[in-house]
Amino acid sequence: MFLAALLAGCAGAGSGGPQPGGSTAANAEAPTCGTEPVVLNATFETGFDLPFKLSEEFTRQYPNVTWDIKQDQFQNLINATPRLLSGDNPPDLIRLPTMVSLVKDGLLKNLDGYAAGFGWDKWPAAQLAQNRVATDGTRGSGSLYAMGLNYSLTGVFYNKELAAQVGMTKPPATMADFDAVLAAAKGKGILPIMVWNASSSGGGLAFPLQQLMAAYGPTQPINDWIFQKPGATIDTPSNLQAAEHLERWIKAGYFPTDANAIQYTDANARFRGGEGLFIFNGDWENANYDKDMAGKVGFLIFPPKEQGGSVAAMSSPLTYGIAANAKNAGCAAFFFNWVATNEQARKINVSVGGSNPGGPADLAIPSVASGSVTNDTLAAGAKVAESNGAMDFIANATGSIFAQGWTPELQKVVGDRQGAAGLLTAVQAEYKRELEQGS
Amino acid sequence: MTANRTVPAASRPTRSDQRPASWLARRVPRTRGARRAALAGWLFVLPALLMYAVFVLQPLALTIQYSLYRWNGVGPATWVGLSNYVTVLRDPDLLGTVINSFKLVLFYSVVPVTLGLLTATVIHRVAAGRFGSVTRTVLFLPQVIPLVAAGIIWGWLLSLPGLVNQILTAVGLGDTTRAWLGDFDTALPAVGLIGIWVLLGFCTVLLLAGMSKIDPALFESARIDGASWLQEFVSVTLPSLKYEIGVCLTVTVVAALAAFDIVYVSTGGGPGNSTAVPGIQIYILAFLERQVGLASALAVILMLLVIVMILPIQRLSREDRS
Amino acid sequence: MRVSRGEIVAGRALLLGTMAVTVLPFLSILTTALHPSGTLPSGLEWPTDPQWGNFVDAFKVANMGVLLGSSTFVVLAVVPVALVIATMAGFAIGLLRIPGARVLLVLFVFGLTLPFEGIITPLYFLERELGILNTRFAIVLPLIALFMPFGVFWMRAHFVNLPGDITEAARIDGASMWGLFWRIHVPLARPAIASLAVLMSVWTWNQFLLALVLVEDPAQRTMAGALGAFQGHYATDIPLLCAGTILILLPTLVLYVLFQRHIIAALLQGSVKG
Repeated sequence: MFLAALLAGCAGAGSGGPQPGGSTAANAEAPTCGTEPVVLNATFETGFDLPFKLSEEFTRQYPNVTWDIKQDQFQNLINATPRLLSGDNPPDLIRLPTMVSLVKDGLLKNLDGYAAGFGWDKWPAAQLAQNRVATDGTRGSGSLYAMGLNYSLTGVFYNKELAAQVGMTKPPATMADFDAVLAAAKGKGILPIMVWNASSSGGGLAFPLQQLMAAYGPTQPINDWIFQKPGATIDTPSNLQAAEHLERWIKAGYFPTDANAIQYTDANARFRGGEGLFIFNGDWENANYDKDMAGKVGFLIFPPKEQGGSVAAMSSPLTYGIAANAKNAGCAAFFFNWVATNEQARKINVSVGGSNPGGPADLAIPSVASGSVTNDTLAAGAKVAESNGAMDFIANATGSIFAQGWTPELQKVVGDRQGAAGLLTAVQAEYKRELEQGS
Repeated sequence: MTANRTVPAASRPTRSDQRPASWLARRVPRTRGARRAALAGWLFVLPALLMYAVFVLQPLALTIQYSLYRWNGVGPATWVGLSNYVTVLRDPDLLGTVINSFKLVLFYSVVPVTLGLLTATVIHRVAAGRFGSVTRTVLFLPQVIPLVAAGIIWGWLLSLPGLVNQILTAVGLGDTTRAWLGDFDTALPAVGLIGIWVLLGFCTVLLLAGMSKIDPALFESARIDGASWLQEFVSVTLPSLKYEIGVCLTVTVVAALAAFDIVYVSTGGGPGNSTAVPGIQIYILAFLERQVGLASALAVILMLLVIVMILPIQRLSREDRS
Repeated sequence: MRVSRGEIVAGRALLLGTMAVTVLPFLSILTTALHPSGTLPSGLEWPTDPQWGNFVDAFKVANMGVLLGSSTFVVLAVVPVALVIATMAGFAIGLLRIPGARVLLVLFVFGLTLPFEGIITPLYFLERELGILNTRFAIVLPLIALFMPFGVFWMRAHFVNLPGDITEAARIDGASMWGLFWRIHVPLARPAIASLAVLMSVWTWNQFLLALVLVEDPAQRTMAGALGAFQGHYATDIPLLCAGTILILLPTLVLYVLFQRHIIAALLQGSVKG
């Protein structure tokens, strides 16, 4: 049986097997889901309502389409996605934690034809850039292999009541002002920053680290590293300054002492319970924060180093892909288009997902209830777009850089077993090792 | 088959009469009837053997085969000979998982056996009746729950606001409180603690059963000779329990080396690599990083380690047992 | 044995302490499960307003009805088959003493020390070839096979220690091999088979690694196998997570309380017999 797998791999063709090197681009097409009954085979991530709500609305508008939805944790999806895509019943729609290796193995459908047919290539280019993979395996340009259901924004949430206690009346304008607020909070016995850094959720310290990197230097080299451009490195002088800054925060006790044991959801629960002035997180949590902290939670973009400097933040699409051999690829592509253009879908996107639905630049973003933190995040998103400061996440650079690189190394810094310089060299070494292995 | 034709030559009592008469010849069947009987007997074994061969032995052979290649699970495989093994032995992170599993052996194996001996002795001496029976039932409880549940429960207990810290503060050791599973120094011992909780009951009950089979006359004669509690323990109890101790050690050593469920759910291998054990690493290498060959090499090394540790234990515990 | 009163008191105190340590974790998640959803209670404190409804919520959100069904299906598919073929094999090796019995026994017993991680990777690819990945059979078939070492060992130990006169008598009466097996020895082996059945059921229910790797859809795994996904879905809510964990371990706990004598006896005899 092993031999059969070997031969199948060499031959490259076969009824169920994926074609190596990615499928060839199709001509422009704008399919619909037709009128015959269609069952869309989908795999979603647990704990996030948005895709479920969107699928319900889609069936309401197109009753011939029903859904067969499977869901699993993000961590499990990272492991499972290659298997799911290459299996016998590949999904029509699947949440993609990473893309490049899947494209290289020919597991994802090339969406260029749909992009031309539906007119996605006329949307703001930055939306689609992160989902493009070139023939040399780098991201940021080339054929389109995934679409985002929305475009999230990551920044700094703050507890308004604690902010008042510390005397923070408006968002800090510079990094130095931010540091001053942190010190003031610590002085008053308030935990400055809540964070999660346990292995099971992955190191949340990567968020403040990346914000610091973008404050100390330009965003392009960071994106280049994430997109695996040849010769890119994360170990640069400005990034070292950022890492040292983070190390100072850790040593000053601005993070919880048990950070290495805190999981993602515990951190949010504690923040909602009033522990922590700030938390670096993304707008996908808006609905949860609003529930417990309605009107008491705000959002700010991490300030630049200099007064009036350009702002940057992690913004990435909620990436979904279509399997190369999916049965209902056309209907899935139609769904993508519908999410971004249909008014009802956009409303759901904003209210449930808390994020920008993307789509054509001339479509208005649906309004949100006043008092919801989503207002803050949408406004912030606009500012980041103006500055062209959108970055992907450093955790997404390779399939396992987060679990095998950032998380253990950041944990070592918290545990005082490693310094800022060691952090960056170790992660860069792991990055090179993984690229060589082809993951 | 008629009754009087099938008496095989070898069923004449040759050795001890304690062995029941064999239905079939134990050696190569001489008569045609005996051969047919042997074949029929083999048919009884066949289903079990077939399942075992297809789903256990075959994958075992495949693991060894995969370990000699570099393969990502979907594309072609390249022969690399023993270089995966070299990688495991040279890479400090990978070798570290092996070292961590040895450390776990101390917690999962040595401690439960020792504490189990102590507890069983106490039960045997002072709690023979219903009290002892209730104790046995309660102590065995952790064995029947899923290991992942144990991991989740203890993950919660060992956290900063959890019960362990609450108790420490209550007895005045408030300075030592911390997130036990998130601290580099204490994470692995904390995982070991979970293992002790799960395995102590098993060892206690096993050793207790062994103790109740010891001839009371031996204890009497030791007492007449004026032996103290400790002397009695060392000269009477311990030697008679050699076999049970061997079983206890075997089961717990395998549990330590193959640990997966508890670690996956409580620490995920962290912080850093302080609780990374081979089981977790094999899973990560094979399914997350898609380095099937390297994962298989680590798996083969793990299996060799199990054999290397179990064989001496088995050898020692089988001495002078008739 | 003359044991001093002081020793009795001290010894029992020690045992009570050990039992407390064993039971305390269960109590802790029970009290935590009763706290209002979304809060982060500390340690061991009985809530002022016990939320028994949390169990219902956890049941619904984790889709436990489906999981219970799935796990039950897996147990019903694995245990009867494994029992029958292990008993047959134990019969052949222990009673019939077929040629090669010793080699077979060593082969099976070798499997007792095999860590599942040693075979999980090829098992995955093997099942992919066979096309059974992601079905419940993905767990059922390997589990039957993995129970063979203990099952065959256990049943063989039973058969080997039987006196031969029953077999002789049946032979004289002209019984066929299958008749001997099915009509005489299986009923006789009922206690051994019952204990083995309970053990295999518990082990199947608690199986995690196989379920995690070989079945993608958490709704098709075992209860324990789905616990990982449940943790992710849930963790916002520690009380609900604790309620869910209790629900997951409840079936085996109930089984244990009902059959504890069988379970303990089974494990001990299996380990202690030669």
